[in-house]
Amino acid sequence: MPHDAPNPRPELDRLQRWMQEVIVHPGTIAQAIASPGAEREIPSEKLAEVVLPSHSLSPAERVGVYHGMYLMRMEEALAADYPVIRHFLGDKTFNDLVREYVQSHPSRSYTLNRLGDHLPRFFADRTEWPQAEFLRDLARLELAMTEAFDEQEFSVLGGEELAAVPPEHWEHARLRPIAALRLLPLKYSVVPHLEAYHRDRPSPTPRRRATWIVVYRRDYSVLRLELSRAEHDLLRTLIDGVPLGEALAAAADQKSARKQDRVFRWFKTWIAEGFFTGVDVSSPAV
Amino acid sequence: MSDNRWSFPDLGLGIGLRTTHYAHILSQEPEVGFFEILTENYLDTGGRPLHILDRISERYPVVMHGVSMSIGSTDPIDLDYLAKVKALAERTGALWVSDHICWTGILGRNTHDLLPLPYTEQSLRHAVARIRTVQEFLEGPLVLENPSTYLEFADSDMKEWEFVARLAEEADCGLLFDVNNVYVSAYNHGYDPVTYIDAIPGDRVCQYHLAGHTNKGSHIIDTHSDHVLDPVWELYGHTLRTVGLRATLLEWDAEIPAFEVVHQEVLKADEWRRQEVARAA
Repeated sequence: MPHDAPNPRPELDRLQRWMQEVIVHPGTIAQAIASPGAEREIPSEKLAEVVLPSHSLSPAERVGVYHGMYLMRMEEALAADYPVIRHFLGDKTFNDLVREYVQSHPSRSYTLNRLGDHLPRFFADRTEWPQAEFLRDLARLELAMTEAFDEQEFSVLGGEELAAVPPEHWEHARLRPIAALRLLPLKYSVVPHLEAYHRDRPSPTPRRRATWIVVYRRDYSVLRLELSRAEHDLLRTLIDGVPLGEALAAAADQKSARKQDRVFRWFKTWIAEGFFTGVDVSSPAV
Repeated sequence: MSDNRWSFPDLGLGIGLRTTHYAHILSQEPEVGFFEILTENYLDTGGRPLHILDRISERYPVVMHGVSMSIGSTDPIDLDYLAKVKALAERTGALWVSDHICWTGILGRNTHDLLPLPYTEQSLRHAVARIRTVQEFLEGPLVLENPSTYLEFADSDMKEWEFVARLAEEADCGLLFDVNNVYVSAYNHGYDPVTYIDAIPGDRVCQYHLAGHTNKGSHIIDTHSDHVLDPVWELYGHTLRTVGLRATLLEWDAEIPAFEVVHQEVLKADEWRRQEVARAA
Protein backbone atom coordinates (compact mmCIF):
# COMPACT_ATOMS: atom_id res chain seq x y z
CA MET A 1 0.00 0.00 0.00
CA PRO A 2 1.46 3.45 -0.89
CA HIS A 3 2.53 5.48 2.12
CA ASP A 4 -0.07 8.20 1.64
CA ALA A 5 -3.03 5.98 0.78
CA PRO A 6 -5.94 6.31 3.23
CA ASN A 7 -5.74 3.45 5.71
CA PRO A 8 -8.99 2.11 7.17
CA ARG A 9 -7.06 1.20 10.36
CA PRO A 10 -5.02 4.36 10.65
CA GLU A 11 -1.82 4.88 12.53
CA LEU A 12 -2.00 7.12 15.60
CA ASP A 13 -0.81 10.31 13.93
CA ARG A 14 -3.24 9.95 11.03
CA LEU A 15 -6.09 9.24 13.42
CA GLN A 16 -5.23 12.35 15.43
CA ARG A 17 -4.95 14.56 12.35
CA TRP A 18 -8.34 13.31 11.19
CA MET A 19 -10.06 13.78 14.52
CA GLN A 20 -8.71 17.30 14.95
CA GLU A 21 -9.79 18.24 11.42
CA VAL A 22 -13.30 17.07 12.22
CA ILE A 23 -13.53 18.65 15.67
CA VAL A 24 -12.39 22.13 14.67
CA HIS A 25 -14.44 22.31 11.46
CA PRO A 26 -16.91 25.23 11.64
CA GLY A 27 -19.78 23.46 9.89
CA THR A 28 -22.08 20.62 10.93
CA ILE A 29 -20.61 17.28 11.94
CA ALA A 30 -21.63 15.82 8.55
CA GLN A 31 -19.82 18.65 6.77
CA ALA A 32 -16.83 18.21 9.07
CA ILE A 33 -16.49 14.49 8.37
CA ALA A 34 -16.83 15.11 4.61
CA SER A 35 -14.47 18.12 4.58
CA PRO A 36 -11.36 17.88 2.36
CA GLY A 37 -9.06 18.02 5.39
CA ALA A 38 -10.81 15.09 7.08
CA GLU A 39 -11.27 13.10 3.84
CA ARG A 40 -7.52 13.40 3.21
CA GLU A 41 -6.88 11.43 6.40
CA ILE A 42 -9.84 9.06 6.57
CA PRO A 43 -12.49 8.79 3.82
CA SER A 44 -15.93 9.51 5.21
CA GLU A 45 -17.30 6.17 3.98
CA LYS A 46 -14.75 4.44 6.23
CA LEU A 47 -15.99 6.15 9.39
CA ALA A 48 -17.74 3.05 10.75
CA GLU A 49 -14.46 1.15 10.42
CA VAL A 50 -12.73 3.69 12.64
CA VAL A 51 -15.32 4.70 15.26
CA LEU A 52 -17.73 2.23 16.84
CA PRO A 53 -21.41 3.06 17.34
CA SER A 54 -22.80 3.05 20.88
CA HIS A 55 -26.13 1.69 22.11
CA SER A 56 -27.69 5.03 21.18
CA LEU A 57 -25.33 7.04 18.98
CA SER A 58 -23.93 6.51 15.49
CA PRO A 59 -20.19 6.92 14.90
CA ALA A 60 -20.81 10.39 13.44
CA GLU A 61 -22.90 11.41 16.43
CA ARG A 62 -20.19 10.24 18.82
CA VAL A 63 -17.51 12.32 17.07
CA GLY A 64 -20.11 15.08 17.00
CA VAL A 65 -20.07 15.24 20.81
CA TYR A 66 -16.45 16.46 20.64
CA HIS A 67 -17.18 18.66 17.62
CA GLY A 68 -20.03 20.44 19.45
CA MET A 69 -18.04 20.96 22.63
CA TYR A 70 -15.09 22.56 20.78
CA LEU A 71 -16.92 25.69 19.71
CA MET A 72 -18.71 25.97 23.05
CA ARG A 73 -15.34 25.98 24.78
CA MET A 74 -13.97 28.63 22.44
CA GLU A 75 -17.08 30.79 22.93
CA GLU A 76 -16.78 30.49 26.68
CA ALA A 77 -13.09 31.43 26.66
CA LEU A 78 -13.52 34.46 24.40
CA ALA A 79 -16.63 35.61 26.25
CA ALA A 80 -14.58 35.64 29.46
CA ASP A 81 -11.97 37.93 27.87
CA TYR A 82 -14.31 40.07 25.75
CA PRO A 83 -17.54 40.50 27.73
CA VAL A 84 -18.08 44.06 26.44
CA ILE A 85 -17.84 43.00 22.79
CA ARG A 86 -20.24 40.16 23.50
CA HIS A 87 -22.62 42.59 25.19
CA PHE A 88 -22.42 44.89 22.16
CA LEU A 89 -22.84 42.18 19.53
CA GLY A 90 -25.33 39.94 21.31
CA ASP A 91 -24.90 36.18 21.78
CA LYS A 92 -25.65 35.05 18.23
CA THR A 93 -23.36 37.51 16.45
CA PHE A 94 -20.69 36.98 19.08
CA ASN A 95 -20.81 33.23 18.51
CA ASP A 96 -20.57 33.81 14.74
CA LEU A 97 -17.52 35.96 15.46
CA VAL A 98 -15.93 33.18 17.55
CA ARG A 99 -16.58 30.61 14.82
CA GLU A 100 -14.82 32.81 12.26
CA TYR A 101 -12.05 33.95 14.61
CA VAL A 102 -10.89 30.51 15.71
CA GLN A 103 -10.61 29.42 12.09
CA SER A 104 -7.93 32.04 11.49
CA HIS A 105 -6.51 32.19 15.02
CA PRO A 106 -6.86 28.76 16.65
CA SER A 107 -5.35 28.17 20.06
CA ARG A 108 -1.69 27.22 19.86
CA SER A 109 -1.04 27.59 23.55
CA TYR A 110 -1.43 25.39 26.60
CA THR A 111 -3.74 28.03 28.01
CA LEU A 112 -7.02 29.43 26.74
CA ASN A 113 -6.18 32.72 28.43
CA ARG A 114 -4.27 33.82 25.34
CA LEU A 115 -6.86 32.68 22.77
CA GLY A 116 -8.14 36.22 22.23
CA ASP A 117 -4.77 37.91 21.76
CA HIS A 118 -5.32 38.36 18.03
CA LEU A 119 -8.84 39.81 18.12
CA PRO A 120 -7.74 43.45 17.52
CA ARG A 121 -5.69 42.23 14.55
CA PHE A 122 -8.67 40.16 13.36
CA PHE A 123 -10.89 43.26 13.19
CA ALA A 124 -8.11 45.23 11.51
CA ASP A 125 -7.93 42.54 8.81
CA ARG A 126 -11.68 41.94 8.51
CA THR A 127 -12.89 45.37 7.46
CA GLU A 128 -16.04 43.72 6.07
CA TRP A 129 -17.21 43.10 9.65
CA PRO A 130 -19.85 45.74 10.54
CA GLN A 131 -18.27 48.37 12.79
CA ALA A 132 -14.87 46.68 12.44
CA GLU A 133 -12.90 49.82 13.27
CA PHE A 134 -14.91 50.43 16.44
CA LEU A 135 -14.71 46.75 17.42
CA ARG A 136 -10.95 46.85 16.97
CA ASP A 137 -10.71 49.69 19.48
CA LEU A 138 -13.02 47.92 21.91
CA ALA A 139 -10.97 44.73 21.53
CA ARG A 140 -7.76 46.68 22.19
CA LEU A 141 -9.23 48.00 25.44
CA GLU A 142 -10.42 44.58 26.63
CA LEU A 143 -7.15 42.92 25.63
CA ALA A 144 -5.20 45.58 27.51
CA MET A 145 -7.28 44.80 30.59
CA THR A 146 -6.59 41.05 30.46
CA GLU A 147 -2.90 41.69 29.82
CA ALA A 148 -2.69 44.07 32.77
CA PHE A 149 -4.45 41.47 34.91
CA ASP A 150 -1.80 38.83 34.17
CA GLU A 151 1.39 40.89 34.08
CA GLN A 152 4.17 40.44 36.60
CA GLU A 153 3.84 42.33 39.86
CA PHE A 154 6.38 45.06 40.61
CA SER A 155 6.91 47.32 43.58
CA VAL A 156 5.71 50.83 42.92
CA LEU A 157 7.89 53.92 42.82
CA GLY A 158 6.97 56.12 45.77
CA GLY A 159 7.19 59.84 46.30
CA GLU A 160 10.05 59.39 48.79
CA GLU A 161 12.19 57.56 46.25
CA LEU A 162 11.54 60.29 43.73
CA ALA A 163 12.38 62.99 46.26
CA ALA A 164 15.67 61.23 46.92
CA VAL A 165 16.84 61.79 43.35
CA PRO A 166 19.45 64.59 43.45
CA PRO A 167 18.28 67.67 41.48
CA GLU A 168 21.31 67.54 39.21
CA HIS A 169 20.25 64.07 38.02
CA TRP A 170 16.67 64.97 37.16
CA GLU A 171 17.30 66.01 33.61
CA HIS A 172 18.73 62.65 32.60
CA ALA A 173 16.62 60.45 34.85
CA ARG A 174 14.35 57.88 33.18
CA LEU A 175 11.24 56.36 34.71
CA ARG A 176 10.63 52.64 34.46
CA PRO A 177 6.92 51.77 34.01
CA ILE A 178 5.29 48.82 35.73
CA ALA A 179 4.66 45.85 33.42
CA ALA A 180 0.90 46.11 33.94
CA LEU A 181 0.55 49.43 32.12
CA ARG A 182 -1.02 49.85 28.68
CA LEU A 183 -1.46 53.15 26.88
CA LEU A 184 -4.15 53.21 24.21
CA PRO A 185 -4.77 55.91 21.64
CA LEU A 186 -8.20 55.07 20.19
CA LYS A 187 -10.31 56.45 17.35
CA TYR A 188 -13.61 55.66 19.07
CA SER A 189 -15.14 56.45 22.40
CA VAL A 190 -15.32 52.99 23.99
CA VAL A 191 -15.71 53.72 27.71
CA PRO A 192 -19.51 54.20 27.42
CA HIS A 193 -19.72 50.62 26.13
CA LEU A 194 -17.71 49.35 29.07
CA GLU A 195 -20.01 51.19 31.46
CA ALA A 196 -23.12 49.93 29.66
CA TYR A 197 -21.89 46.37 30.13
CA HIS A 198 -21.15 46.86 33.83
CA ARG A 199 -24.58 48.45 34.41
CA ASP A 200 -26.33 45.86 32.26
CA ARG A 201 -27.74 48.53 29.96
CA PRO A 202 -27.97 48.46 26.16
CA SER A 203 -24.75 49.42 24.41
CA PRO A 204 -24.84 52.91 22.88
CA THR A 205 -24.28 53.51 19.18
CA PRO A 206 -20.54 53.71 18.50
CA ARG A 207 -19.26 57.27 18.21
CA ARG A 208 -16.05 58.21 16.49
CA ARG A 209 -14.07 60.41 18.87
CA ALA A 210 -10.34 60.35 19.53
CA THR A 211 -9.81 58.93 23.02
CA TRP A 212 -6.71 58.22 25.08
CA ILE A 213 -6.85 55.65 27.85
CA VAL A 214 -4.29 54.23 30.23
CA VAL A 215 -5.02 50.77 31.66
CA TYR A 216 -3.02 49.72 34.70
CA ARG A 217 -3.06 47.48 37.74
CA ARG A 218 -2.86 48.63 41.32
CA ASP A 219 -3.17 46.32 44.33
CA TYR A 220 -4.09 43.49 41.92
CA SER A 221 -7.07 45.40 40.53
CA VAL A 222 -7.18 46.51 36.88
CA LEU A 223 -8.06 50.20 36.57
CA ARG A 224 -8.25 52.75 33.77
CA LEU A 225 -8.00 56.51 33.34
CA GLU A 226 -9.02 58.65 30.41
CA LEU A 227 -6.29 61.06 29.40
CA SER A 228 -6.05 64.19 27.31
CA ARG A 229 -3.99 64.06 24.14
CA ALA A 230 -1.21 66.03 25.85
CA GLU A 231 -1.21 63.72 28.87
CA HIS A 232 -1.04 60.71 26.61
CA ASP A 233 1.86 62.13 24.63
CA LEU A 234 3.93 62.89 27.72
CA LEU A 235 3.19 59.53 29.31
CA ARG A 236 4.11 57.81 26.03
CA THR A 237 7.51 59.50 25.95
CA LEU A 238 8.18 58.56 29.56
CA ILE A 239 7.16 54.94 28.97
CA ASP A 240 9.46 54.89 25.95
CA GLY A 241 12.37 55.83 28.20
CA VAL A 242 12.88 59.42 27.14
CA PRO A 243 14.83 61.30 29.86
CA LEU A 244 12.68 63.43 32.12
CA GLY A 245 14.31 66.69 31.10
CA GLU A 246 13.61 66.13 27.42
CA ALA A 247 10.08 64.80 27.99
CA LEU A 248 9.04 67.61 30.30
CA ALA A 249 10.53 70.30 28.10
CA ALA A 250 8.37 69.08 25.26
CA ALA A 251 5.23 68.95 27.39
CA ALA A 252 5.47 72.10 29.48
CA ASP A 253 6.38 75.49 28.21
CA GLN A 254 9.02 76.72 30.66
CA LYS A 255 7.55 80.22 30.47
CA SER A 256 3.98 79.13 31.27
CA ALA A 257 3.37 78.53 34.96
CA ARG A 258 -0.10 77.24 34.12
CA LYS A 259 1.26 74.53 31.81
CA GLN A 260 3.95 73.62 34.34
CA ASP A 261 1.28 73.24 37.03
CA ARG A 262 -0.73 71.02 34.72
CA VAL A 263 2.21 68.72 34.07
CA PHE A 264 2.98 68.64 37.79
CA ARG A 265 -0.61 67.53 38.51
CA TRP A 266 -0.42 64.77 35.92
CA PHE A 267 2.87 63.60 37.31
CA LYS A 268 1.50 63.55 40.83
CA THR A 269 -1.46 61.45 39.71
CA TRP A 270 0.70 58.97 37.81
CA ILE A 271 3.00 58.47 40.79
CA ALA A 272 0.02 58.11 43.15
CA GLU A 273 -1.61 55.57 40.82
CA GLY A 274 1.60 53.54 40.69
CA PHE A 275 2.44 53.77 36.98
CA PHE A 276 6.18 53.48 37.61
CA THR A 277 8.34 50.97 39.38
CA GLY A 278 11.65 52.80 39.49
CA VAL A 279 13.81 55.65 38.32
CA ASP A 280 17.18 55.27 36.64
CA VAL A 281 19.44 58.17 37.48
CA SER A 282 22.52 57.17 35.54
CA SER A 283 23.68 59.67 32.93
CA PRO A 284 22.86 58.81 29.33
CA ALA A 285 25.52 57.10 27.27
CA VAL A 286 27.54 59.54 25.19
CA MET B 1 -5.91 -2.80 49.67
CA SER B 2 -2.64 -0.95 50.14
CA ASP B 3 -0.90 2.38 50.17
CA ASN B 4 0.36 3.89 46.93
CA ARG B 5 3.94 3.02 46.07
CA TRP B 6 5.23 6.57 46.46
CA SER B 7 3.64 6.95 49.90
CA PHE B 8 1.87 10.10 48.78
CA PRO B 9 -0.22 11.03 51.80
CA ASP B 10 -3.95 10.54 52.08
CA LEU B 11 -4.77 14.23 52.35
CA GLY B 12 -8.40 13.58 53.20
CA LEU B 13 -11.02 15.56 51.34
CA GLY B 14 -10.13 18.37 48.96
CA ILE B 15 -11.75 20.88 46.67
CA GLY B 16 -10.75 22.23 43.28
CA LEU B 17 -9.60 25.81 43.78
CA ARG B 18 -11.79 28.20 41.77
CA THR B 19 -11.63 32.00 41.52
CA THR B 20 -15.21 32.45 42.74
CA HIS B 21 -14.19 30.97 46.09
CA TYR B 22 -10.99 32.97 46.67
CA ALA B 23 -12.53 35.53 49.01
CA HIS B 24 -14.32 32.92 51.11
CA ILE B 25 -11.23 30.74 51.49
CA LEU B 26 -8.99 33.63 52.51
CA SER B 27 -11.45 35.18 54.92
CA GLN B 28 -12.98 32.03 56.46
CA GLU B 29 -10.04 29.63 56.25
CA PRO B 30 -12.35 26.58 55.98
CA GLU B 31 -11.15 23.19 57.15
CA VAL B 32 -10.23 21.51 53.87
CA GLY B 33 -7.76 18.67 53.49
CA PHE B 34 -6.17 20.12 50.37
CA PHE B 35 -6.77 22.22 47.29
CA GLU B 36 -6.20 21.11 43.73
CA ILE B 37 -5.26 23.85 41.29
CA LEU B 38 -5.77 23.90 37.55
CA THR B 39 -2.13 24.12 36.52
CA GLU B 40 -2.53 26.20 33.36
CA ASN B 41 -4.43 28.96 35.18
CA TYR B 42 -1.28 29.89 37.09
CA LEU B 43 1.53 29.40 34.58
CA ASP B 44 1.55 32.77 32.82
CA THR B 45 0.20 35.15 35.39
CA GLY B 46 2.00 37.38 37.81
CA GLY B 47 -1.19 38.99 39.02
CA ARG B 48 -3.93 38.31 41.50
CA PRO B 49 -4.36 34.55 40.80
CA LEU B 50 -0.73 33.82 41.63
CA HIS B 51 -0.82 36.14 44.65
CA ILE B 52 -3.87 34.29 46.00
CA LEU B 53 -2.31 30.93 45.24
CA ASP B 54 0.80 31.88 47.20
CA ARG B 55 -1.37 32.69 50.21
CA ILE B 56 -3.41 29.51 49.91
CA SER B 57 -0.38 27.27 49.43
CA GLU B 58 1.06 28.69 52.65
CA ARG B 59 -1.97 27.42 54.59
CA TYR B 60 -3.11 24.29 52.75
CA PRO B 61 -1.55 21.32 50.97
CA VAL B 62 -1.76 21.84 47.20
CA VAL B 63 -1.73 19.40 44.31
CA MET B 64 -1.54 20.38 40.64
CA HIS B 65 -3.89 19.16 37.93
CA GLY B 66 -3.21 20.03 34.29
CA VAL B 67 -5.19 19.73 31.09
CA SER B 68 -2.60 20.51 28.40
CA MET B 69 0.26 18.03 28.77
CA SER B 70 -1.25 16.10 25.85
CA ILE B 71 0.64 12.98 26.82
CA GLY B 72 -0.88 10.92 23.99
CA SER B 73 -0.30 13.43 21.18
CA THR B 74 2.08 12.66 18.32
CA ASP B 75 3.35 16.25 18.51
CA PRO B 76 6.68 16.78 20.28
CA ILE B 77 6.55 17.24 24.04
CA ASP B 78 6.44 20.95 24.92
CA LEU B 79 9.48 21.36 27.16
CA ASP B 80 8.83 25.06 27.80
CA TYR B 81 5.44 24.12 29.19
CA LEU B 82 6.97 21.39 31.34
CA ALA B 83 9.56 23.82 32.69
CA LYS B 84 6.77 26.14 33.80
CA VAL B 85 4.87 23.26 35.37
CA LYS B 86 7.97 22.24 37.29
CA ALA B 87 8.61 25.79 38.45
CA LEU B 88 5.02 26.17 39.65
CA ALA B 89 5.24 22.85 41.52
CA GLU B 90 8.34 24.11 43.31
CA ARG B 91 6.72 27.46 44.08
CA THR B 92 3.56 25.94 45.56
CA GLY B 93 5.18 22.90 47.14
CA ALA B 94 2.67 20.77 45.24
CA LEU B 95 2.65 17.24 46.56
CA TRP B 96 2.12 15.80 43.09
CA VAL B 97 1.47 16.85 39.50
CA SER B 98 -1.31 15.25 37.50
CA ASP B 99 -2.78 15.41 34.00
CA HIS B 100 -4.88 13.12 31.81
CA ILE B 101 -4.53 10.00 29.67
CA CYS B 102 -5.47 11.75 26.46
CA TRP B 103 -4.27 14.05 23.73
CA THR B 104 -5.44 17.64 23.30
CA GLY B 105 -4.16 18.63 19.87
CA ILE B 106 -1.74 18.04 17.04
CA LEU B 107 0.24 20.09 14.51
CA GLY B 108 0.76 22.79 17.12
CA ARG B 109 -2.92 23.34 17.81
CA ASN B 110 -4.71 22.84 21.09
CA THR B 111 -8.41 21.92 21.06
CA HIS B 112 -8.45 22.20 24.87
CA ASP B 113 -10.40 18.97 25.06
CA LEU B 114 -9.35 15.66 26.56
CA LEU B 115 -9.46 13.59 23.39
CA PRO B 116 -9.49 9.79 23.52
CA LEU B 117 -6.69 7.51 22.45
CA PRO B 118 -7.24 4.24 20.63
CA TYR B 119 -6.32 1.49 23.09
CA THR B 120 -3.71 -0.11 20.88
CA GLU B 121 -0.19 -1.42 21.45
CA GLN B 122 1.08 1.50 19.36
CA SER B 123 -0.70 4.09 21.55
CA LEU B 124 0.55 2.34 24.66
CA ARG B 125 4.18 2.34 23.55
CA HIS B 126 3.90 5.95 22.46
CA ALA B 127 2.35 7.17 25.72
CA VAL B 128 4.68 5.12 27.93
CA ALA B 129 7.76 6.60 26.25
CA ARG B 130 6.44 10.14 26.66
CA ILE B 131 5.44 9.63 30.29
CA ARG B 132 8.96 8.42 31.06
CA THR B 133 10.40 11.52 29.39
CA VAL B 134 8.11 13.79 31.39
CA GLN B 135 8.92 12.03 34.64
CA GLU B 136 12.64 12.44 34.01
CA PHE B 137 12.09 16.12 33.35
CA LEU B 138 9.90 16.63 36.42
CA GLU B 139 12.18 14.42 38.51
CA GLY B 140 9.21 12.67 40.02
CA PRO B 141 6.21 10.54 39.19
CA LEU B 142 3.54 11.90 36.91
CA VAL B 143 0.01 11.10 38.03
CA LEU B 144 -2.49 10.52 35.20
CA GLU B 145 -6.27 10.55 35.21
CA ASN B 146 -8.64 8.35 33.27
CA PRO B 147 -10.77 10.79 31.25
CA SER B 148 -14.46 10.61 30.38
CA THR B 149 -14.79 9.50 26.77
CA TYR B 150 -17.61 9.74 24.26
CA LEU B 151 -16.41 7.43 21.51
CA GLU B 152 -14.53 4.18 21.06
CA PHE B 153 -12.11 3.41 18.24
CA ALA B 154 -12.73 0.24 16.29
CA ASP B 155 -9.10 -0.80 16.20
CA SER B 156 -8.53 -0.82 19.97
CA ASP B 157 -6.67 -3.97 20.98
CA MET B 158 -7.70 -3.88 24.62
CA LYS B 159 -10.28 -2.49 27.03
CA GLU B 160 -9.72 0.91 28.59
CA TRP B 161 -8.99 -0.54 32.04
CA GLU B 162 -6.36 -2.86 30.57
CA PHE B 163 -4.77 0.09 28.80
CA VAL B 164 -4.77 2.22 31.96
CA ALA B 165 -3.33 -0.57 34.11
CA ARG B 166 -0.58 -1.42 31.62
CA LEU B 167 0.21 2.25 31.07
CA ALA B 168 0.72 2.81 34.77
CA GLU B 169 2.87 -0.30 35.20
CA GLU B 170 4.99 0.11 32.06
CA ALA B 171 5.56 3.84 32.48
CA ASP B 172 5.91 3.52 36.26
CA CYS B 173 3.52 6.43 36.79
CA GLY B 174 0.74 7.19 39.25
CA LEU B 175 -2.99 7.21 38.65
CA LEU B 176 -5.58 9.78 39.54
CA PHE B 177 -8.65 7.59 39.53
CA ASP B 178 -11.75 9.56 38.54
CA VAL B 179 -14.73 7.56 39.73
CA ASN B 180 -17.24 9.77 37.95
CA ASN B 181 -15.36 9.36 34.68
CA VAL B 182 -15.56 5.60 35.01
CA TYR B 183 -19.32 5.89 35.46
CA VAL B 184 -19.64 8.26 32.49
CA SER B 185 -17.52 6.17 30.14
CA ALA B 186 -19.19 2.94 31.26
CA TYR B 187 -22.60 4.44 30.45
CA ASN B 188 -21.42 5.79 27.10
CA HIS B 189 -19.73 2.58 26.03
CA GLY B 190 -21.97 0.05 27.73
CA TYR B 191 -19.57 -1.75 30.04
CA ASP B 192 -19.59 -2.64 33.73
CA PRO B 193 -17.81 0.06 35.79
CA VAL B 194 -17.04 -2.44 38.56
CA THR B 195 -14.98 -4.51 36.12
CA TYR B 196 -12.98 -1.35 35.39
CA ILE B 197 -12.40 -0.55 39.07
CA ASP B 198 -11.40 -4.10 39.91
CA ALA B 199 -8.72 -4.04 37.20
CA ILE B 200 -6.95 -0.94 38.47
CA PRO B 201 -3.58 -1.51 40.23
CA GLY B 202 -4.31 0.01 43.64
CA ASP B 203 -0.72 0.75 44.49
CA ARG B 204 -0.57 3.15 41.54
CA VAL B 205 -3.56 5.19 42.67
CA CYS B 206 -2.57 8.45 44.37
CA GLN B 207 -5.84 10.39 44.32
CA TYR B 208 -9.54 10.12 43.53
CA HIS B 209 -11.80 12.55 41.71
CA LEU B 210 -15.53 12.90 42.19
CA ALA B 211 -17.85 15.17 40.20
CA GLY B 212 -21.36 15.64 38.89
CA HIS B 213 -22.34 14.99 35.29
CA THR B 214 -25.16 15.65 32.83
CA ASN B 215 -27.16 12.76 31.43
CA LYS B 216 -28.40 13.57 27.92
CA GLY B 217 -30.25 10.27 27.64
CA SER B 218 -28.26 9.01 24.68
CA HIS B 219 -24.99 9.71 26.45
CA ILE B 220 -23.51 11.38 29.54
CA ILE B 221 -21.32 14.47 29.46
CA ASP B 222 -18.78 15.03 32.21
CA THR B 223 -19.85 18.59 32.98
CA HIS B 224 -18.71 18.96 36.62
CA SER B 225 -21.84 21.07 37.04
CA ASP B 226 -23.82 19.32 39.74
CA HIS B 227 -23.86 17.17 42.86
CA VAL B 228 -22.32 13.71 42.74
CA LEU B 229 -24.99 11.19 41.83
CA ASP B 230 -25.79 8.17 44.00
CA PRO B 231 -24.46 5.52 41.58
CA VAL B 232 -21.12 7.37 41.56
CA TRP B 233 -21.05 7.40 45.36
CA GLU B 234 -21.67 3.63 45.28
CA LEU B 235 -18.74 3.21 42.90
CA TYR B 236 -16.60 5.39 45.18
CA GLY B 237 -17.43 3.05 48.05
CA HIS B 238 -16.45 0.05 45.94
CA THR B 239 -13.21 1.78 44.94
CA LEU B 240 -12.34 2.44 48.59
CA ARG B 241 -12.86 -1.24 49.34
CA THR B 242 -10.69 -2.45 46.45
CA VAL B 243 -8.01 0.25 46.30
CA GLY B 244 -8.06 1.90 49.71
CA LEU B 245 -8.25 5.38 51.21
CA ARG B 246 -6.73 8.11 49.06
CA ALA B 247 -6.90 11.89 48.87
CA THR B 248 -10.34 12.57 47.42
CA LEU B 249 -11.23 15.68 45.50
CA LEU B 250 -14.54 17.12 44.33
CA GLU B 251 -14.51 18.97 40.99
CA TRP B 252 -17.21 21.59 40.34
CA ASP B 253 -16.40 23.69 37.28
CA ALA B 254 -19.66 24.93 35.80
CA GLU B 255 -22.56 26.69 37.50
CA ILE B 256 -20.30 26.81 40.53
CA PRO B 257 -22.30 27.31 43.74
CA ALA B 258 -21.19 28.94 46.99
CA PHE B 259 -18.14 27.43 48.65
CA GLU B 260 -20.23 25.92 51.45
CA VAL B 261 -22.28 23.92 48.93
CA VAL B 262 -19.16 22.46 47.31
CA HIS B 263 -17.63 21.83 50.71
CA GLN B 264 -20.73 20.01 52.00
CA GLU B 265 -20.74 17.87 48.86
CA VAL B 266 -17.19 16.63 49.32
CA LEU B 267 -17.79 16.04 53.03
CA LYS B 268 -20.30 13.35 52.01
CA ALA B 269 -17.24 11.29 51.08
CA ASP B 270 -16.31 11.22 54.77
CA GLU B 271 -19.08 8.77 55.58
CA TRP B 272 -17.87 6.40 52.85
CA ARG B 273 -14.33 6.72 54.15
CA ARG B 274 -15.46 6.01 57.73
CA GLN B 275 -17.31 2.90 56.59
CA GLU B 276 -14.17 1.66 54.89
CA VAL B 277 -12.02 2.33 57.95
CA ALA B 278 -14.56 0.41 60.11
CA ARG B 279 -14.70 -2.45 57.63
CA ALA B 280 -10.93 -2.73 57.43
CA ALA B 281 -10.47 -2.61 61.22
